[in-house]
Amino acid sequence: MAGSGRDERAWVRRAQAGSASDFEALFRAHWGPAYRAAYLVVRDAGAAEDIAQEAFLSAVRSLDRFDRRRPFGPWLHRIVVNRAIDWARARALRPEAEEVDVAAPKRPERDEELLRELDRLSPEHRAVIVLRYLLEYTPGEIAELLELPRGTVNSRLRRGLDSLRERLE
Amino acid sequence: MKDFRAPNEPEAAERAWQLVHAAYRSREPVTWPRRHPRPLIAGAVVAAAVAAVLSPPGRSVVHSLRKAVGVENAQTELFSLPTRARLLVSGRSGTWIVNPDGSRRRLGAYRDAAWSPHGLFIVAVKRNELVALDSKGNVRWTLPRRSPRFPTWTGTFTDTRIAYVAGGRLHIVAGDGTGDRTIGPAAHVPPVWRPGRIVVYSNGHGVVGYDTRSQKVVRHAALRVGGPTIRRRARQSEVVLGGRVLFRGTGVFDQVVRSPDGRWLLVTWPTADQWIFIRIKPRKIVGASRISGQFGGFPTTASWCCRR
Repeated sequence: MAGSGRDERAWVRRAQAGSASDFEALFRAHWGPAYRAAYLVVRDAGAAEDIAQEAFLSAVRSLDRFDRRRPFGPWLHRIVVNRAIDWARARALRPEAEEVDVAAPKRPERDEELLRELDRLSPEHRAVIVLRYLLEYTPGEIAELLELPRGTVNSRLRRGLDSLRERLE
Repeated sequence: MKDFRAPNEPEAAERAWQLVHAAYRSREPVTWPRRHPRPLIAGAVVAAAVAAVLSPPGRSVVHSLRKAVGVENAQTELFSLPTRARLLVSGRSGTWIVNPDGSRRRLGAYRDAAWSPHGLFIVAVKRNELVALDSKGNVRWTLPRRSPRFPTWTGTFTDTRIAYVAGGRLHIVAGDGTGDRTIGPAAHVPPVWRPGRIVVYSNGHGVVGYDTRSQKVVRHAALRVGGPTIRRRARQSEVVLGGRVLFRGTGVFDQVVRSPDGRWLLVTWPTADQWIFIRIKPRKIVGASRISGQFGGFPTTASWCCRR
């Protein structure tokens, strides 16, 4: 998914120093997971692209202040997932906002089933499932990322999985 | 799920990379934090970067980025508002009132702030507290509740109510902080007051209304929202009013809010770190840049005072 911790620290260090190629390596390593995570929470390709792009622009703005001892991925994913949740919540009360989605490619049947099941969950539940099973964070890390009690993360995971179980097995 | 791929990933990546790369090339380096005690090196880096930015090619890069994202000729700061109304702004650094002359007063470390119907008070939240303040930031009353969010105030001079979400339930409390009542399960979504004392909210299964007069839940409440809206397209956002696109830009518009006199719209545009004020007729666009720098982060909510 992303580079090793050592690679990533080196990319961040050199990107801070002005190396565009290292910044690009950081972008290429993290764009896919960030975009996929946003898409799975908001289920709108245009919005997901905006959210992931906005997260990277935040990264650019904060790059010089970024603590290189910390991993870059969780910091980026926190921004992406929180923005995606906010967007999904706002959409629930903005039915007047028309979403114009880009044409989606044909997907494997299993993906379609998974997406249909995910759609039945709230954005908060989707986010926890995405962080756990797409980005592979532990429940403790998810609790830290989303600033939630560990018990809340576990219960959202449990409830989300109950809905998804048949598809994931 | 690890094998999942979102639609059009490569194309989306290339579009995003163009913008992000342009932002990276034109970023303004800051001095190193104190844990790197190398003032001479830092000074040299900053000087070199400033020289690069000031050089003709550097200026060109900055110019092209501004052209790509944000309104050209925007004010470099928010010097004033285009109308006589005040703005209430909440974000990571707290809640602020912005006066028409551009002066700002920070009320404190609150979020989700909303005006009272006549702009005399403000309701906002802290971690486990609903708080009512006057416009100088003096606390009038507080109500301890677990993680309250999204307070919104409605009513007349003599009878006002605040709806908010706490502990997964919609609450309604009187404007003086008394008579707090739980209405029912609510999703983590801002409730909205509608004329006739109806508060519209999401109960997790759909959007419903609660009529405070009859004290009944009205199912399938129609959310008739007139006025300006934000429409998102693949890479752009548009502000639409009466079917007409008033403004279009790259990235995300967070909010569009109409001024109390109805003549101006404020569009918050985090992608460009700008606020855009749009006069509807005759049309005029005024931008203000570096919003994050002025409020310690890009504000998440902004609202005008006050509806007439």
